[in-house]
Amino acid sequence: MTEVRAPAPPGPPGEAGRAPPEAPGRSPGRRRPATRGPFGKLEWARWGWRQLTSMRTALILLFLLALGSVPGSVLPQQGINPQAVEQYYAAHPALAPWLARFSLFNVFAAPWFAAIYLLLFLSLAGCVVPRTFRLAGSARQQPPRAPGNLSRLPLSTGMASPLAPGAALSTASALLAAKRYRVRTGDGWVSAEKGYLREAGNLLFHLALLALLAAVGMGGLFGYKADRLLVAGQSFGNTVTALDQFRPGRLVSAADLQPFSIALSSFSARYVSAGPEMGQPASFNAYLSYQAEPGAAARHYDLRVNHPLNVDNVKVYLIGHGYAPVFKVTDGTGRVVFNGPVPFIPVSLNGLTSEGVVKVPDARPQQLGFAGVFLPTTVDVGGKLQSAFPAPYRPAVSLVSYAGNLGMNGGASQSVYQLDTAGLHRLPVKPRPLAPGQSIKLPGGVGTLTFTGYRQWISLAITYDPGQLPALIAAIAALAGLLLSFLVRRRRVFVRAAPAAGGSAVEFGGLARTESSETFGAEFADLSAELSAALAGAGERGPHGSAGRSPHSGAGGRRPHGTVLDGITPAGTAPTAHAALVPSPDCAARTTAPPHASDSPASSELPSIPDERE
Amino acid sequence: MYGATSGPAAPQVTGTLLSGSRFTLAQDRGHVVVLNFWGSWCTPCRAEAPLLSRLARHFTPRGVRFLGVDIRDSPATAEAFQRDFAISYPSLNDPGDEIALGFRDTVPPAGIPTTLVIGRSGRITARVIGQVSYPGLRGLITQALAQPA
Repeated sequence: MTEVRAPAPPGPPGEAGRAPPEAPGRSPGRRRPATRGPFGKLEWARWGWRQLTSMRTALILLFLLALGSVPGSVLPQQGINPQAVEQYYAAHPALAPWLARFSLFNVFAAPWFAAIYLLLFLSLAGCVVPRTFRLAGSARQQPPRAPGNLSRLPLSTGMASPLAPGAALSTASALLAAKRYRVRTGDGWVSAEKGYLREAGNLLFHLALLALLAAVGMGGLFGYKADRLLVAGQSFGNTVTALDQFRPGRLVSAADLQPFSIALSSFSARYVSAGPEMGQPASFNAYLSYQAEPGAAARHYDLRVNHPLNVDNVKVYLIGHGYAPVFKVTDGTGRVVFNGPVPFIPVSLNGLTSEGVVKVPDARPQQLGFAGVFLPTTVDVGGKLQSAFPAPYRPAVSLVSYAGNLGMNGGASQSVYQLDTAGLHRLPVKPRPLAPGQSIKLPGGVGTLTFTGYRQWISLAITYDPGQLPALIAAIAALAGLLLSFLVRRRRVFVRAAPAAGGSAVEFGGLARTESSETFGAEFADLSAELSAALAGAGERGPHGSAGRSPHSGAGGRRPHGTVLDGITPAGTAPTAHAALVPSPDCAARTTAPPHASDSPASSELPSIPDERE
Repeated sequence: MYGATSGPAAPQVTGTLLSGSRFTLAQDRGHVVVLNFWGSWCTPCRAEAPLLSRLARHFTPRGVRFLGVDIRDSPATAEAFQRDFAISYPSLNDPGDEIALGFRDTVPPAGIPTTLVIGRSGRITARVIGQVSYPGLRGLITQALAQPA
């Protein structure tokens, strides 16, 4: 905040090395005395801090933050879609490792992104916190003393009053106080100021911006995202072991997870069955029953897309669905070694053709593996099997069978959706699609697989973001503060009363920032009308208007008129008064007043409103 | 690792064994209990299964009880796993994660496999996340055996 004040006197030559006091960050007009010592570490640190907390730096950092988010939106991100990242690696084998070096596949966790974010936070905090104290101080400030010559203010009028000066002043201050001005009285003058809400609005905006950053940061630190695939008839509890993918914030541990559990009773999907959109999904309904914690009463919820379940401040979204055919596998010894649903992943959106694998690592004498497709509505198109419609009107499964070593006993991680055929040999089975109830008898007596039926599965996205609501509140508060700081204006009015024949001669002047002069002109006119009405009492009503620099001739009833205005009458003339009272700094000097003292240095005499430029 | 008296008390664990009968952890009070969360689909669990089997055969005569908690497996698959690795100790089936949720206030399983050692007093004395090593787990069980009830 630059304050307009007289330039500081140059220090004596012996003061080399002492940094003159100045407002942080912005004083381009000030030059240090030529004789200065070498720039020490403290000075560098101070200079660095001033640069960091300047608004220019904050804007640059904000721009960099936005720029840094661009690769996060354009490139696939590791935390959201690891399969897409792998596809990118496959598609751009030379470029991808270089992008990974700069953490471009994980932008929002990248160190450089965190550095920008932290620097921005520091910059804002370092700027706002001292300003808070300053603004709080200035909000408590008393209005300044009234200037000696009120007629030099951009807006001023004079009036005569039958009241004594003291009574006139107290009437004036009572009137202004009733209009919620902050009033200060002195010897022969009254000074009033209004519009401190502007400071409050400014303050609110800065604090809310800080709070917004803090809320987003808090959400990132304490929040988490997780995924889980749930087959109909199954249930799960919110623990790390149960979640398919778990992406915690930095300060989230396994014990911080809300202990709810969700069971999927059934899932139904409706598809458009005719017309140009045939096959498109019309609606999904997942019928859940959930408990907020073990032992709580079970409640029911119909989960649909964009209607998340809200349990214990955690949101559970329905993301996708698919089919899970149920298999029963008997191994070579005749025992049932596998019996349950296997989720198959959709690979085509048209007919929901789904692919999947079945791994049976505990089959004897050999481990068994199967890979194939599930077709909800099987049709034979030119010898190739396809699915024509996503609803299960004619479900079938077509599998390739393997036996050997699945590679699972070594401890290396494997995806449950992929089969590592390195240690497996393919079994010679005649390929044919299985309808529900049919089986494959594997050669060599290694086992049998039966396709017993199918179920549906849903995929859930579980998100916990404690910073969401605080961020919303902070954003609204920032907007409110911004509006306040734009709409509310600081304005000052001064009243001087001097004894005169028949009572007192009252001068009334006003000052506002140039941008708000239009509205203030109208307000000033209303105010002076009311003031003159209050001061008139039983005496003559003789408000005279003089805008501009007519000489103050002291005693006497009538005073020379300025060219701008010929008298203010209550109400009625407000529009013309307003138009006439639009001042410009030169307007006052160009009246037909005698050309004397035409170039008073306004900045040093008039109490200008401190410029709130950043 | 937690001290004998300072570790959190193990929660009530009740469930259904794969054999179908009910089981409560409280019935093992006074013995050292090794609780292992596993799944047949989890490759590190399969890698550590032979070690657990050996440890169980070694320590069960000394009064240590071994218990498994099976995550996301059907009973048939779980029984096949136990046959495959000659696991002599019983396992609880936990399809709804109730047992895992029971540990949320104390020492939650932070991944599969997780092995907990519960002392004679009923307090959790150690947790191993990930594949156990034979000497490592043997040392933890020996320490728990050395502590008083």
